[in-house]
Amino acid sequence: MAAPNLPTQPPGPFPDRPGINSENSFHTERPIHYKPVKNEVRVYVWELPVRIFHWLNMFAIILLMGTGVYIGKPFSAAIIPDEAYYSNLMGWMRYIHFFAAFLFTINLIFRLYWVFKGNKFATSNPLRWLFWKEVFETVKFYLFLKNKKPHYVGHNPLAQLSYWIFIGLGSWIVMLTGFYMYFEPQQESFWAKLFVWVPYLFGGDSFTLRSWHHLAAWGFMLFTLIHVYMAFRDDYLERNGSISSMFSGYKTTTRKSVGEKNNE
Amino acid sequence: MKKKKTVYEAAIDHGFNRRDFLKMCTALAATLGLEFTQSDQVVKAMETKMRVPVVWLQFQDCTGCSESFIRSSQPKTESVLLEMISLEYSEVLSAASGHQVEASMKQVLKDYKGEYVLAVEGSIPEDDSFLTVAGQSAKETFLEMAAGAKAIIAYGSCSSWGGIAAAHPNPTGAKPVTSFVKDTPTILVPGCPPISEVMTGVIAHIITFGKLPELDQFGRPKAFYRHRIHDKCNRRAYFDAGLFVESFDDEGAKQGYCLYKVGCKGPTTYNSCAEMRWNGGVSYPIQSGNPCIGCSEKDFWDNGPFYTRRAKIPGTQTTINPDAVGLAAIGLTTAGIAVHAAGTVIKRKRDDKRGEEE
Repeated sequence: MAAPNLPTQPPGPFPDRPGINSENSFHTERPIHYKPVKNEVRVYVWELPVRIFHWLNMFAIILLMGTGVYIGKPFSAAIIPDEAYYSNLMGWMRYIHFFAAFLFTINLIFRLYWVFKGNKFATSNPLRWLFWKEVFETVKFYLFLKNKKPHYVGHNPLAQLSYWIFIGLGSWIVMLTGFYMYFEPQQESFWAKLFVWVPYLFGGDSFTLRSWHHLAAWGFMLFTLIHVYMAFRDDYLERNGSISSMFSGYKTTTRKSVGEKNNE
Repeated sequence: MKKKKTVYEAAIDHGFNRRDFLKMCTALAATLGLEFTQSDQVVKAMETKMRVPVVWLQFQDCTGCSESFIRSSQPKTESVLLEMISLEYSEVLSAASGHQVEASMKQVLKDYKGEYVLAVEGSIPEDDSFLTVAGQSAKETFLEMAAGAKAIIAYGSCSSWGGIAAAHPNPTGAKPVTSFVKDTPTILVPGCPPISEVMTGVIAHIITFGKLPELDQFGRPKAFYRHRIHDKCNRRAYFDAGLFVESFDDEGAKQGYCLYKVGCKGPTTYNSCAEMRWNGGVSYPIQSGNPCIGCSEKDFWDNGPFYTRRAKIPGTQTTINPDAVGLAAIGLTTAGIAVHAAGTVIKRKRDDKRGEEE
């Protein structure tokens, strides 16, 4: 990692250097790709692997949530109320849940790899004073208070923090407790032994682990709701193509924020 | 000092013939989860091993474990009591009482130091004033007897986890036996009460192999506690099919559907009820139509109502309905978002107007 206090240095002259913020001082060795459009620029923020991750993750979470709620509280019974061999409703719910769980896990592991491989918008470092200062400014911004929130090309620090909490921490809670439960019936197997330490981490018995899993899942629901709202709000206020950026990868932003001169 | 007899000799003395003895050994091997070919080992052990002296202490308990113990069918309780073990002290079963029986306990400590098995029923209060037997506090008696024991068997959820007495707010400061001893090997046989065949099976294992059975990470014998009730349940097919009892008087209950929705704790409970069953394999709660209450799990009394599915807030003893709370949180957040979105639109309109004016 380069020295954190250097601002972004894209190729070319850099006269209108923006003030140093947590974004433009971060990973300055990873170049920003952009193309000029009229008075603005279209920055390639979300690379294709990040977009694929995003939509696969959404797909997996929808599957997991739908089947997960059913597994926790079966809200509907099998259509044929007779002997058990006519239907396999819970069986299918569990099967889909497990399929989606593996998709979710593999997807997340790939995304972890992309943290190191991707552009500067693919990573985040909350262990910086500047980061937390700007989280505070962003909170003020969302509370309609007077604030000094800088303009960001990618995610603001508060958004990054929400990913740390829900995607970073939350995913690991559901994955670890989930895989522990998945291998619970075969405790002597190699795979179960990989997860034997999980109860020690989460404090206790099967019931406690299940509770963690269930509560963390609702955390994902809350996150989804807020995340979608914030994305639309950002698009509405900034007119920067937040929503379409998750399809195209490009976000519209000022020339200044990528270090170019304003040619007004 | 009493003359020591082998288990075989004791059986012959009690009027059994060798054929009965071999039958008993074969059945015992099956109970212990051994292969048929290993029955020889059991026979040999019973022919050569001395009866094991057992001291059975009761602390904060309800005698339910003793009651369960005396209903063992395989091995039969009487054959365990009269042939396999030599029960030196028991509040329930000892014929003697008062000073005589207390003296007998002291005698065990003298005669069989390091040889006897200490069976404990009930939790031990942290505060001595809550339990004193024969003028000696429970903790003192336990520590004295535990120090000279070959092994400790904690019978029941109380001695294994703290039990009902340790339920929130735990007024007596009840603790499991493992909180007091570290050096003596301890086997936990939780359950409220444990299955009688499991109780006798553990003792039989110690006699047969001269060592403790293989234990899991909590200290329970793997042979009896390695499976979840849910995975061995006779109603499991209904779970997978998606056929559930909704209330205890509906058609599903009559048909024997899965009890998941009426609070069955089978999916989080490790015990061998579904395989061994109770009262000589007659039935067990789920088979009889009552959801499992998870009595062999730690803190089962604090894990929410017996007939409702709940989730525990980690680190607390509070259980909630996770879906109701989750939906409420989603509802509140949606309302918050609506207000915030309105605020955002108003602010933007106002800012645009100001921009035009400037």
